[in-house]
Amino acid sequence: MSRPVLRSSQESPRIARLDRDRGLVEAARRDPANFDALYRKYLPQVYSFAYYELHDHHAAEDATERVFMQALAALPKFEERADSFVAPSGGDRQASTFRVWLFRIARNVIANERRRERRRPVAPLDEAYNLPAGGDVVEAAALREAGSVAWQAVARLPEDRRRAVVLRFVDEMSTAEIAEILGRSEGAVRVLLHRALRSVAADLRGGMN
Amino acid sequence: MLGSSARDARRTEIYLNGLLAAEERGAPDAPLDLDVDPAVVFAARRLRADLIRPHPSFRFEEGLACRLGLAANPAASLRALHAPAGAPGHAALGSGVPRLGPLSSKSARPLIVGGVASAISIGAVYVAWRWSRGSGSATAHAESAGKTEPGHSSGRGRRVLGGIFGVMS
Repeated sequence: MSRPVLRSSQESPRIARLDRDRGLVEAARRDPANFDALYRKYLPQVYSFAYYELHDHHAAEDATERVFMQALAALPKFEERADSFVAPSGGDRQASTFRVWLFRIARNVIANERRRERRRPVAPLDEAYNLPAGGDVVEAAALREAGSVAWQAVARLPEDRRRAVVLRFVDEMSTAEIAEILGRSEGAVRVLLHRALRSVAADLRGGMN
Repeated sequence: MLGSSARDARRTEIYLNGLLAAEERGAPDAPLDLDVDPAVVFAARRLRADLIRPHPSFRFEEGLACRLGLAANPAASLRALHAPAGAPGHAALGSGVPRLGPLSSKSARPLIVGGVASAISIGAVYVAWRWSRGSGSATAHAESAGKTEPGHSSGRGRRVLGGIFGVMS
Protein backbone atom coordinates (compact mmCIF):
# COMPACT_ATOMS: atom_id res chain seq x y z
CA MET A 1 0.00 0.00 0.00
CA SER A 2 1.23 3.49 -0.66
CA ARG A 3 1.86 6.01 2.07
CA PRO A 4 -0.35 9.07 1.74
CA VAL A 5 1.37 12.40 2.22
CA LEU A 6 -0.55 15.66 2.45
CA ARG A 7 0.59 18.44 0.19
CA SER A 8 -0.57 21.98 0.44
CA SER A 9 -2.25 23.44 -2.57
CA GLN A 10 -4.18 26.57 -3.28
CA GLU A 11 -7.33 24.76 -4.33
CA SER A 12 -7.56 21.76 -2.06
CA PRO A 13 -5.39 19.48 0.00
CA ARG A 14 -3.69 16.97 -2.25
CA ILE A 15 -2.47 13.58 -1.30
CA ALA A 16 0.66 12.32 -2.94
CA ARG A 17 1.07 8.58 -2.69
CA LEU A 18 4.67 7.61 -2.24
CA ASP A 19 5.29 4.15 -3.52
CA ARG A 20 6.72 2.02 -0.74
CA ASP A 21 8.31 -0.14 -3.40
CA ARG A 22 10.23 2.68 -5.03
CA GLY A 23 13.58 1.43 -3.73
CA LEU A 24 12.94 -2.12 -4.84
CA VAL A 25 11.69 -0.97 -8.23
CA GLU A 26 14.75 1.19 -8.79
CA ALA A 27 17.02 -1.67 -7.77
CA ALA A 28 15.24 -3.99 -10.20
CA ARG A 29 15.60 -1.43 -12.97
CA ARG A 30 19.31 -1.16 -12.33
CA ASP A 31 19.70 -4.92 -12.31
CA PRO A 32 16.79 -7.19 -13.28
CA ALA A 33 18.15 -9.88 -10.96
CA ASN A 34 16.89 -7.68 -8.13
CA PHE A 35 13.34 -8.18 -9.39
CA ASP A 36 13.32 -11.22 -7.14
CA ALA A 37 12.60 -9.07 -4.09
CA LEU A 38 9.44 -7.68 -5.69
CA TYR A 39 8.49 -11.15 -6.84
CA ARG A 40 8.81 -12.61 -3.33
CA LYS A 41 6.91 -9.73 -1.81
CA TYR A 42 3.91 -9.93 -4.10
CA LEU A 43 3.76 -13.59 -5.07
CA PRO A 44 1.19 -14.57 -2.40
CA GLN A 45 -1.07 -11.63 -3.26
CA VAL A 46 -0.97 -12.14 -7.01
CA TYR A 47 -1.43 -15.87 -6.63
CA SER A 48 -4.38 -15.36 -4.26
CA PHE A 49 -6.04 -12.96 -6.66
CA ALA A 50 -5.58 -15.43 -9.51
CA TYR A 51 -6.74 -18.35 -7.41
CA TYR A 52 -9.93 -16.67 -6.26
CA GLU A 53 -10.68 -15.66 -9.83
CA LEU A 54 -9.81 -18.91 -11.56
CA HIS A 55 -10.75 -21.45 -8.85
CA ASP A 56 -7.90 -23.74 -9.77
CA HIS A 57 -4.37 -24.00 -8.39
CA HIS A 58 -2.77 -24.84 -11.69
CA ALA A 59 -4.56 -22.14 -13.63
CA ALA A 60 -3.64 -19.70 -10.86
CA GLU A 61 0.01 -20.73 -11.04
CA ASP A 62 0.07 -20.36 -14.81
CA ALA A 63 -1.52 -16.93 -14.56
CA THR A 64 0.85 -15.91 -11.77
CA GLU A 65 3.83 -16.90 -13.90
CA ARG A 66 2.57 -14.86 -16.82
CA VAL A 67 1.96 -11.86 -14.58
CA PHE A 68 5.50 -11.80 -13.21
CA MET A 69 7.10 -12.52 -16.59
CA GLN A 70 5.17 -9.64 -18.13
CA ALA A 71 5.97 -7.39 -15.21
CA LEU A 72 9.68 -8.16 -15.49
CA ALA A 73 9.64 -7.41 -19.22
CA ALA A 74 7.64 -4.22 -18.83
CA LEU A 75 9.34 -2.88 -15.70
CA PRO A 76 11.40 -0.27 -17.58
CA LYS A 77 8.12 1.21 -18.82
CA PHE A 78 6.55 1.44 -15.37
CA GLU A 79 6.08 5.01 -14.28
CA GLU A 80 5.21 5.89 -10.75
CA ARG A 81 2.72 8.71 -10.78
CA ALA A 82 2.49 10.09 -7.33
CA ASP A 83 0.81 13.43 -7.19
CA SER A 84 -2.56 13.24 -8.79
CA PHE A 85 -4.73 11.96 -5.99
CA VAL A 86 -7.20 14.61 -4.92
CA ALA A 87 -8.64 14.19 -1.46
CA PRO A 88 -11.25 13.22 -0.62
CA SER A 89 -13.22 12.53 -3.79
CA GLY A 90 -10.66 10.40 -5.56
CA GLY A 91 -12.05 11.51 -8.88
CA ASP A 92 -8.65 11.86 -10.44
CA ARG A 93 -7.32 8.41 -11.17
CA GLN A 94 -3.82 8.99 -12.42
CA ALA A 95 -1.71 7.81 -9.51
CA SER A 96 0.03 4.51 -9.83
CA THR A 97 2.22 2.48 -7.55
CA PHE A 98 4.08 -0.70 -8.40
CA ARG A 99 1.47 -2.81 -6.62
CA VAL A 100 -1.39 -1.22 -8.52
CA TRP A 101 0.51 -1.58 -11.78
CA LEU A 102 1.26 -5.24 -11.06
CA PHE A 103 -2.37 -5.97 -10.25
CA ARG A 104 -3.49 -4.30 -13.44
CA ILE A 105 -1.29 -6.75 -15.31
CA ALA A 106 -2.81 -9.52 -13.20
CA ARG A 107 -6.33 -8.35 -13.97
CA ASN A 108 -5.61 -8.47 -17.71
CA VAL A 109 -3.88 -11.85 -17.58
CA ILE A 110 -6.71 -13.32 -15.52
CA ALA A 111 -9.36 -11.82 -17.80
CA ASN A 112 -7.67 -13.49 -20.77
CA GLU A 113 -7.49 -16.75 -18.89
CA ARG A 114 -11.17 -16.55 -17.97
CA ARG A 115 -12.08 -15.93 -21.59
CA ARG A 116 -10.11 -19.03 -22.52
CA GLU A 117 -11.69 -20.93 -19.63
CA ARG A 118 -15.22 -20.25 -20.84
CA ARG A 119 -14.52 -22.60 -23.69
CA ARG A 120 -13.67 -25.35 -21.22
CA PRO A 121 -15.85 -27.07 -18.62
CA VAL A 122 -15.78 -25.19 -15.31
CA ALA A 123 -15.02 -27.02 -12.05
CA PRO A 124 -17.85 -27.07 -9.52
CA LEU A 125 -17.53 -24.42 -6.83
CA ASP A 126 -17.43 -27.09 -4.12
CA GLU A 127 -14.05 -28.15 -5.44
CA ALA A 128 -12.83 -24.62 -5.90
CA TYR A 129 -11.99 -24.12 -2.24
CA ASN A 130 -10.12 -27.36 -1.81
CA LEU A 131 -7.05 -25.72 -0.30
CA PRO A 132 -4.12 -27.75 0.93
CA ALA A 133 -4.46 -28.57 4.60
CA GLY A 134 -1.65 -28.53 7.11
CA GLY A 135 -1.37 -29.02 10.84
CA ASP A 136 -4.48 -30.01 12.76
CA VAL A 137 -6.66 -32.00 10.42
CA VAL A 138 -9.93 -31.24 12.24
CA GLU A 139 -9.15 -27.55 12.47
CA ALA A 140 -8.09 -27.50 8.84
CA ALA A 141 -11.29 -29.25 7.80
CA ALA A 142 -13.39 -26.76 9.77
CA LEU A 143 -11.43 -23.90 8.26
CA ARG A 144 -11.95 -25.30 4.80
CA GLU A 145 -15.65 -25.73 5.37
CA ALA A 146 -16.09 -22.20 6.72
CA GLY A 147 -13.93 -20.83 3.96
CA SER A 148 -15.82 -22.80 1.39
CA VAL A 149 -19.17 -21.41 2.55
CA ALA A 150 -17.83 -17.86 2.59
CA TRP A 151 -16.17 -18.30 -0.76
CA GLN A 152 -19.28 -19.69 -2.35
CA ALA A 153 -21.17 -16.62 -1.22
CA VAL A 154 -18.47 -14.42 -2.73
CA ALA A 155 -18.30 -16.48 -5.89
CA ARG A 156 -21.98 -15.86 -6.55
CA LEU A 157 -21.41 -12.11 -6.66
CA PRO A 158 -21.20 -10.25 -9.96
CA GLU A 159 -17.66 -10.01 -11.29
CA ASP A 160 -16.79 -6.48 -10.20
CA ARG A 161 -18.15 -6.97 -6.68
CA ARG A 162 -16.32 -10.26 -6.33
CA ARG A 163 -13.02 -8.75 -7.42
CA ALA A 164 -13.46 -5.83 -5.08
CA VAL A 165 -14.14 -8.17 -2.15
CA VAL A 166 -11.12 -10.34 -2.89
CA LEU A 167 -8.82 -7.34 -3.28
CA ARG A 168 -10.16 -5.83 -0.04
CA PHE A 169 -10.33 -8.87 2.22
CA VAL A 170 -7.69 -11.20 0.83
CA ASP A 171 -5.14 -8.78 -0.58
CA GLU A 172 -5.94 -6.06 1.97
CA MET A 173 -5.95 -3.22 -0.52
CA SER A 174 -7.32 0.23 0.07
CA THR A 175 -10.33 1.55 -1.78
CA ALA A 176 -8.05 3.84 -3.77
CA GLU A 177 -5.90 0.94 -4.92
CA ILE A 178 -8.90 -1.18 -5.85
CA ALA A 179 -10.31 1.75 -7.81
CA GLU A 180 -7.06 1.99 -9.75
CA ILE A 181 -6.98 -1.70 -10.50
CA LEU A 182 -10.60 -2.01 -11.54
CA GLY A 183 -10.61 1.28 -13.41
CA ARG A 184 -13.47 2.69 -11.34
CA SER A 185 -13.84 5.72 -9.11
CA GLU A 186 -13.29 5.32 -5.38
CA GLY A 187 -16.92 6.15 -4.78
CA ALA A 188 -17.99 3.37 -7.13
CA VAL A 189 -15.73 0.90 -5.36
CA ARG A 190 -17.18 1.88 -1.97
CA VAL A 191 -20.66 1.20 -3.28
CA LEU A 192 -19.52 -2.08 -4.87
CA LEU A 193 -18.12 -3.26 -1.54
CA HIS A 194 -21.13 -2.12 0.45
CA ARG A 195 -23.55 -3.92 -1.86
CA ALA A 196 -21.33 -6.97 -2.04
CA LEU A 197 -21.32 -7.27 1.76
CA ARG A 198 -25.08 -6.95 1.93
CA SER A 199 -25.44 -9.68 -0.70
CA VAL A 200 -22.98 -11.94 1.10
CA ALA A 201 -24.81 -11.41 4.40
CA ALA A 202 -28.13 -12.32 2.82
CA ASP A 203 -26.56 -15.37 1.22
CA LEU A 204 -24.87 -16.56 4.41
CA ARG A 205 -27.96 -15.98 6.54
CA GLY A 206 -30.09 -17.76 3.96
CA GLY A 207 -27.71 -20.71 4.15
CA MET A 208 -28.01 -20.82 7.92
CA ASN A 209 -31.81 -21.10 7.84
CA MET B 1 -24.13 16.25 -0.76
CA LEU B 2 -23.88 12.50 -0.49
CA GLY B 3 -26.87 10.33 -1.27
CA SER B 4 -27.91 7.72 1.25
CA SER B 5 -26.27 4.96 -0.77
CA ALA B 6 -22.95 6.81 -0.92
CA ARG B 7 -23.23 7.70 2.76
CA ASP B 8 -23.83 4.07 3.72
CA ALA B 9 -20.96 2.99 1.50
CA ARG B 10 -18.66 5.47 3.20
CA ARG B 11 -19.70 4.23 6.65
CA THR B 12 -18.98 0.71 5.47
CA GLU B 13 -15.55 1.77 4.30
CA ILE B 14 -14.74 3.37 7.64
CA TYR B 15 -15.82 0.21 9.40
CA LEU B 16 -13.71 -1.95 7.07
CA ASN B 17 -10.67 0.27 7.62
CA GLY B 18 -11.18 -0.15 11.35
CA LEU B 19 -11.65 -3.89 11.02
CA LEU B 20 -8.42 -4.37 9.10
CA ALA B 21 -6.53 -2.02 11.43
CA ALA B 22 -7.92 -3.82 14.49
CA GLU B 23 -6.49 -7.08 13.30
CA GLU B 24 -3.10 -5.49 12.71
CA ARG B 25 -2.93 -4.36 16.33
CA GLY B 26 -4.42 -7.60 17.65
CA ALA B 27 -7.76 -6.15 18.72
CA PRO B 28 -10.75 -8.50 18.45
CA ASP B 29 -12.91 -6.14 16.40
CA ALA B 30 -13.21 -2.63 15.09
CA PRO B 31 -14.99 0.11 17.06
CA LEU B 32 -18.56 -0.16 15.90
CA ASP B 33 -20.46 2.78 14.53
CA LEU B 34 -24.09 2.06 15.32
CA ASP B 35 -25.09 3.52 11.98
CA VAL B 36 -23.30 0.77 10.09
CA ASP B 37 -25.66 -1.76 8.60
CA PRO B 38 -25.57 -4.88 10.86
CA ALA B 39 -25.68 -7.09 7.76
CA VAL B 40 -22.50 -5.42 6.54
CA VAL B 41 -20.82 -5.96 9.91
CA PHE B 42 -21.86 -9.62 9.92
CA ALA B 43 -20.59 -10.27 6.40
CA ALA B 44 -17.38 -8.30 6.90
CA ARG B 45 -16.47 -10.20 10.08
CA ARG B 46 -17.23 -13.47 8.41
CA LEU B 47 -15.21 -12.76 5.27
CA ARG B 48 -12.35 -11.35 7.30
CA ALA B 49 -12.19 -14.56 9.31
CA ASP B 50 -12.89 -17.08 6.56
CA LEU B 51 -11.35 -15.82 3.36
CA ILE B 52 -7.81 -17.02 3.67
CA ARG B 53 -4.92 -16.07 1.45
CA PRO B 54 -3.75 -19.22 -0.30
CA HIS B 55 -0.06 -19.55 -1.05
CA PRO B 56 1.38 -21.38 -4.02
CA SER B 57 3.52 -24.42 -3.45
CA PHE B 58 7.14 -23.97 -2.46
CA ARG B 59 8.17 -25.84 -5.58
CA PHE B 60 6.24 -23.44 -7.79
CA GLU B 61 7.62 -20.42 -5.94
CA GLU B 62 11.22 -21.52 -6.30
CA GLY B 63 10.71 -22.74 -9.87
CA LEU B 64 9.29 -19.41 -10.96
CA ALA B 65 12.04 -17.57 -9.09
CA CYS B 66 14.55 -19.55 -11.15
CA ARG B 67 12.78 -18.82 -14.41
CA LEU B 68 12.58 -15.12 -13.57
CA GLY B 69 16.25 -15.20 -12.67
CA LEU B 70 17.05 -16.78 -16.02
CA ALA B 71 14.89 -14.25 -17.84
CA ALA B 72 16.50 -11.40 -15.94
CA ASN B 73 20.01 -12.53 -16.63
CA PRO B 74 20.10 -14.85 -19.64
CA ALA B 75 23.65 -13.98 -20.65
CA ALA B 76 25.13 -15.18 -17.38
CA SER B 77 22.90 -18.22 -17.47
CA LEU B 78 24.01 -19.19 -20.96
CA ARG B 79 27.67 -18.59 -20.11
CA ALA B 80 27.33 -20.85 -17.10
CA LEU B 81 25.67 -23.55 -19.13
CA HIS B 82 28.33 -23.42 -21.87
CA ALA B 83 31.36 -23.17 -19.63
CA PRO B 84 33.68 -26.21 -19.86
CA ALA B 85 32.91 -28.90 -17.32
CA GLY B 86 34.86 -28.31 -14.16
CA ALA B 87 35.50 -24.67 -14.99
CA PRO B 88 34.42 -22.05 -12.49
CA GLY B 89 30.85 -21.10 -13.18
CA HIS B 90 30.07 -24.28 -15.07
CA ALA B 91 26.58 -25.60 -14.65
CA ALA B 92 25.39 -28.87 -16.03
CA LEU B 93 22.05 -28.49 -17.77
CA GLY B 94 19.36 -28.98 -15.23
CA SER B 95 21.83 -29.85 -12.49
CA GLY B 96 20.52 -27.36 -10.01
CA VAL B 97 17.45 -26.06 -11.72
CA PRO B 98 14.32 -27.18 -9.93
CA ARG B 99 12.16 -28.75 -12.56
CA LEU B 100 8.47 -28.15 -12.38
CA GLY B 101 7.01 -31.57 -12.03
CA PRO B 102 3.43 -32.47 -11.30
CA LEU B 103 2.34 -30.93 -8.00
CA SER B 104 -0.16 -33.65 -7.34
CA SER B 105 -1.62 -36.67 -9.00
CA LYS B 106 -4.28 -34.34 -10.38
CA SER B 107 -1.78 -32.21 -12.19
CA ALA B 108 0.05 -34.57 -14.48
CA ARG B 109 0.84 -32.08 -17.23
CA PRO B 110 3.42 -33.00 -19.85
CA LEU B 111 6.74 -31.51 -18.75
CA ILE B 112 7.73 -30.69 -22.32
CA VAL B 113 4.83 -28.28 -22.64
CA GLY B 114 5.94 -26.40 -19.55
CA GLY B 115 9.54 -26.40 -20.77
CA VAL B 116 8.70 -25.03 -24.18
CA ALA B 117 6.34 -22.44 -22.70
CA SER B 118 8.99 -21.34 -20.22
CA ALA B 119 11.62 -21.08 -22.94
CA ILE B 120 9.30 -18.94 -25.04
CA SER B 121 8.43 -16.77 -22.06
CA ILE B 122 12.05 -16.28 -21.10
CA GLY B 123 13.00 -15.47 -24.68
CA ALA B 124 10.15 -13.00 -25.00
CA VAL B 125 11.06 -11.31 -21.75
CA TYR B 126 14.69 -11.02 -22.80
CA VAL B 127 13.82 -9.54 -26.19
CA ALA B 128 11.39 -7.10 -24.57
CA TRP B 129 13.98 -6.13 -22.01
CA ARG B 130 16.62 -5.50 -24.67
CA TRP B 131 14.24 -3.43 -26.75
CA SER B 132 13.20 -1.36 -23.80
CA ARG B 133 16.75 -0.74 -22.63
CA GLY B 134 18.27 -0.10 -26.04
CA SER B 135 21.09 -2.15 -27.53
CA GLY B 136 23.90 -0.28 -25.82
CA SER B 137 22.62 -0.70 -22.32
CA ALA B 138 21.59 -4.25 -23.03
CA THR B 139 25.11 -5.09 -24.12
CA ALA B 140 26.52 -3.42 -21.07
CA HIS B 141 24.04 -5.26 -18.94
CA ALA B 142 24.91 -8.56 -20.56
CA GLU B 143 28.60 -7.90 -20.02
CA SER B 144 28.12 -7.03 -16.42
CA ALA B 145 25.74 -9.90 -15.85
CA GLY B 146 28.43 -12.50 -15.54
CA LYS B 147 30.42 -10.57 -13.00
CA THR B 148 29.79 -11.11 -9.36
CA GLU B 149 31.29 -8.46 -7.21
CA PRO B 150 32.11 -9.52 -3.70
CA GLY B 151 30.56 -7.04 -1.34
CA HIS B 152 28.20 -5.75 -3.98
CA SER B 153 24.58 -5.95 -2.95
CA SER B 154 23.52 -9.49 -3.63
CA GLY B 155 19.74 -9.71 -3.74
CA ARG B 156 17.73 -12.85 -3.61
CA GLY B 157 17.76 -13.02 -7.40
CA ARG B 158 21.53 -13.34 -7.36
CA ARG B 159 21.29 -15.92 -4.63
CA VAL B 160 18.78 -17.84 -6.72
CA LEU B 161 21.12 -17.78 -9.68
CA GLY B 162 23.96 -18.72 -7.41
CA GLY B 163 21.89 -21.62 -6.21
CA ILE B 164 21.26 -22.73 -9.76
CA PHE B 165 24.73 -22.46 -11.08
CA GLY B 166 26.83 -22.96 -8.02
CA VAL B 167 29.77 -20.64 -7.54
CA MET B 168 29.93 -18.10 -10.33
CA SER B 169 33.17 -16.32 -10.82
